[in-house]
Amino acid sequence: MSCANLFGLDNCVKCTICVSHCPVARVSDKFAGPKQYGPDLERFRLEEAGAVCPSVTYCTNCKNCDVACPSGVNVSAMICRAKGELVGRHGAAWRDRLMARVDLLGKYSRLSPALINWCAGNSPIRWLVEKTFGVSKEMTLPRYAGQTFYDLFSYKKKTGGNVSGERIVVYYPGCYVNYHNPGVGMALVEVMVRNGIRVLVEKFNCCGLPLISNGFLSEAQKYARKNIQQLRSHLDRDYRIITSCPSCSLTLRREYREVLGLVDAGRLSSYVQDAFEYLWCMSRQGELDTSFKSVPLRAGYHLPCHLKAGGYGVPSREILGLIPGLRVHDLDAGCCGLSGSCGFKREKYANSMAIGWDLFRSIKEMDTKQVITECGICQLQIQHGAGVTVYHPVQVLAEAFGLGGYIRNY
Amino acid sequence: MMCRDFDLAIIGAGLSGLIAAAKAAEMGKKVLLLAKGMGVVELSTGCIDLWGYCLEQPEEVCRRPVDEIARMVGINREHPYAKVQDVLEESMRFFQRVCSDNGCHYLENKGDNWLLPTAFGTVRPTYLVPASMAVRSLFKAKSVLVVGFKELKDFYPEMLVRNLKKSGEFDPGCHMKTAITGVGGGELTPNALASRLEQPDILTGVISRVRNFLSPGSLVLFPPVLGDRRDTGVALKLARGLECPVYEVSNIPPALPGQRLLKTLLHYLKVIGVEVIMGCKATGAEISGGHCLRLDAEGAGGSIKIRSRAFVLATGSFLGGGLEARPGYACETVFNLPVKAIEGNWWDKDFFNKDGHPFSKFGIVVNDRLQPVDGVGRVLVENLMVVGASLAGCNYPVEKCGGGVAVATGYKAGKLAGEVGR
Repeated sequence: MSCANLFGLDNCVKCTICVSHCPVARVSDKFAGPKQYGPDLERFRLEEAGAVCPSVTYCTNCKNCDVACPSGVNVSAMICRAKGELVGRHGAAWRDRLMARVDLLGKYSRLSPALINWCAGNSPIRWLVEKTFGVSKEMTLPRYAGQTFYDLFSYKKKTGGNVSGERIVVYYPGCYVNYHNPGVGMALVEVMVRNGIRVLVEKFNCCGLPLISNGFLSEAQKYARKNIQQLRSHLDRDYRIITSCPSCSLTLRREYREVLGLVDAGRLSSYVQDAFEYLWCMSRQGELDTSFKSVPLRAGYHLPCHLKAGGYGVPSREILGLIPGLRVHDLDAGCCGLSGSCGFKREKYANSMAIGWDLFRSIKEMDTKQVITECGICQLQIQHGAGVTVYHPVQVLAEAFGLGGYIRNY
Repeated sequence: MMCRDFDLAIIGAGLSGLIAAAKAAEMGKKVLLLAKGMGVVELSTGCIDLWGYCLEQPEEVCRRPVDEIARMVGINREHPYAKVQDVLEESMRFFQRVCSDNGCHYLENKGDNWLLPTAFGTVRPTYLVPASMAVRSLFKAKSVLVVGFKELKDFYPEMLVRNLKKSGEFDPGCHMKTAITGVGGGELTPNALASRLEQPDILTGVISRVRNFLSPGSLVLFPPVLGDRRDTGVALKLARGLECPVYEVSNIPPALPGQRLLKTLLHYLKVIGVEVIMGCKATGAEISGGHCLRLDAEGAGGSIKIRSRAFVLATGSFLGGGLEARPGYACETVFNLPVKAIEGNWWDKDFFNKDGHPFSKFGIVVNDRLQPVDGVGRVLVENLMVVGASLAGCNYPVEKCGGGVAVATGYKAGKLAGEVGR
C-alpha cells in the first residue's frame, strides 16, 4: 500500500456521513456501511491482508460514499481492493466470473442475438438460470442489438458518412453502447459530424469496471493496460478521448490510477472527456452549432451515480438547456439501485429494487413517460422499474439537430 | 477542462452555504454550490441553535435569545452576529418558510429557547426545531415512556431515563418507563431503521407492540429514526396510532433529523435551479486587483474552472477543512485569506471548560457586507463574502450559536449577491 492510501485512511474522522449516504446500508442489514467496510476494516487489512469478509460484496461500487465524504477519504477504492483480496483468496462464483465479462458475453451474443433475447424473455429458462446460476429471474436482461455499434459505424464509414471535419476525436463507446444500445453511439457520431468533428473509432477493450466491481482486479489490470496501450498513440496526436458512458469515463479517468494503481494512466485521465464536456467547451468558444429545432419533450432527468462521482457537474445540463421546447425536471431521487451487475444477482435483486424505489416513485409523481439519463445500466433499471422510455442526452441533442429517428413518441 | 459561468459560486455545502444558495437563487441568480463533500448539517441535531445561555450567568438557559444577541453585539462588535443583526429575524423566517414549503416543518417556541431531551438524558436549549422534536412541557408530563429498538445500537432508553430523573425537574409522581421494540432483521443502521419505519405494515407492528407499555397521559420519546424522507410522517402516524404525543430526541450521528434538514435544503436548491456539484474540491483562485476572477476546482473524474460575479466562502472551520492549523499559525485553504488567531495556547487543558477553547474563535474577519478585510479594515477581495463557521469571533460550542450564525450570515450573503445588478 502506498503512502497516499495510508494518509487517506487517517483522514477518516468517523463522522458517518458516508453511512447515511450509502444506498445499500439503507435497505439491507447485510452491509453495515462504507465506513465499516472501508476505513474501519482497512486498519485490520493493513495488518493482515486476509482480514476480509464476504459481506463486502454487498457494496455496489456506486461511490456515493466518496462523493459524500467531507474529508477526502477514497472509501470505495478501499472496498474495491478488499473485494479483490477476498476473490483472490477465496475465489468467486461462476456467475460473477461471467457477469464481470460483459465484453465476452457480448461477443458470444453475436452468434445469435435474437435467440439470446428470446431466452432472456422466456420464464422457464430464466427460472432454470436462477436455480443453477443465481441470476435473478425477475430482472429484465438488457437486449442485444441486431447490429453492434462497431458494425453500424464501419458501415457508415464505408458509405462516406464520417468524412468531414478538421477536429478529430476518438470515441470510446463502451460495452453497453456497443452491444445493447448502439443508437447512442450513432447519435454521438452524427452530432459530432454535424459540428465539423471527425470521429475515430477502434475496437477497444471493456474498460474493466465490471471486473473491478466483482473483485477480479488482476484481470481488470490486464484490460486497463491494453486500453492504455491502445489509446497512447491517440494521446500522442493530442486527440481527446470522448465517452458517452459515465462509468467507462470514471474508470478510465480515475479507477485505473486509484484502484488498479496504474501510474501511466495519469496522462490518459487528462485526455478523457465526457461528450457533453467537449461540446460545452466548443459552445463557450462559439463553435457549437446551436440552431436547434424545437424538441417539445417533457422529461425527468436522472443523475447517474458515476457521473456524480466524477465531481465535475452535469455537462449535458447546459446544452440541453439551450434546446427550445425541451423541459427537463431533475428527478432528485438518488441511486437507481442496479449498479452494474449487482441487481442481476438473485440475492441482491431485492436490495436493488428497494434502492430504486425512490426513483420509480419520483418518476411516477412527475407523471412522465420519458426519462433522460447518461448511464446504460440506469436506463435499464428505469425501464424495468418504472416502465418508461429512457434516452441518453445525446439522442435528444441529435433530435434537436434534426438528425431524426433517435427519439420516439413525443 | 470545462469552464462555467455563474452569478454566484458558493464553496461549501454546510448550512450557511445552502442558505446563501437558496436566497440568491430565489432572487433570480444563477447559482453554483460546490463542495468537496457533504457538509455537517446532517451530523447536527437538525435543530437551529441561536443563543443558548445568559451572558452574565452561563449556567442559566437564555429565555429571549434574540434580545440577548442584541445585548451581546452591543458589547462585542467582533462577533459574526454583529454583522448580520439587520437580517437576523428575517433570516430565521426565511429558513422556516423554505423548510415548511418543502415538507419539513420547523417550530419556534414563542421567542424562547426550547429545552429538548437528548439520548443521554440531558436537556439542551435550542431555538428552531423540527416538529417531530418539539417537546412542549417535558417536565410537566405525568408519565414518560422511552422506546428503543433492539436492532439499533447507540440508543439506551435506561440511560436516558436515569439521567432525566437526575435533573430533578420532574413532578415526583411522574412515572418513567422504558420499552424495547423491534422491526425484524439483524442490526440496522439508523438510516436502515428509519427507512423501514416508512413502510406502513412495519409501523403498524411497532404501534401495536408499544401500545402495551402505555399508561394514561404518556409522553413517548423515540430515538431520532422516525422516517428517512424529508417530508416524513412517521412521528405523526405514531402519535395518532398511540394516541399520545410522540417525539424524537437528539442523538449522535447518524441521526435522521439533521439528514432530513439536509435533504430538504438540497431538494429546494434543485427545485429553484441551483447547480450542486459535490465531490469537487476548490483548489485555488485567481485574484487580480482585489477581485476574484476565477475559481479552480477538481473532482475525482475531472476539473472545472468557475467564473462568477460573486463568490461565497462557506468552507467551515478546522473540522470542515476551511481552516488549517499549521505549527504556530492557521491558514484559510482556498483564497489564502488571513486568519485571525491568537498568540499563546490555542486550547485549554480542561476539555469541557465553560469558556471553550480559544481556537474556536479563529477565522476570517469581515466587514458588515461580509467581505474579508485585513488588520486595518481594508477589503481584500471585493466580490467575495465569508459566512458560517469560517468567520472569526464566535465560540459556538459554548455560545450555542452555530446554526443561527450560519443561517443569518448565509442569508445575508445570498441577499447581497441577489441585489447586485437590480
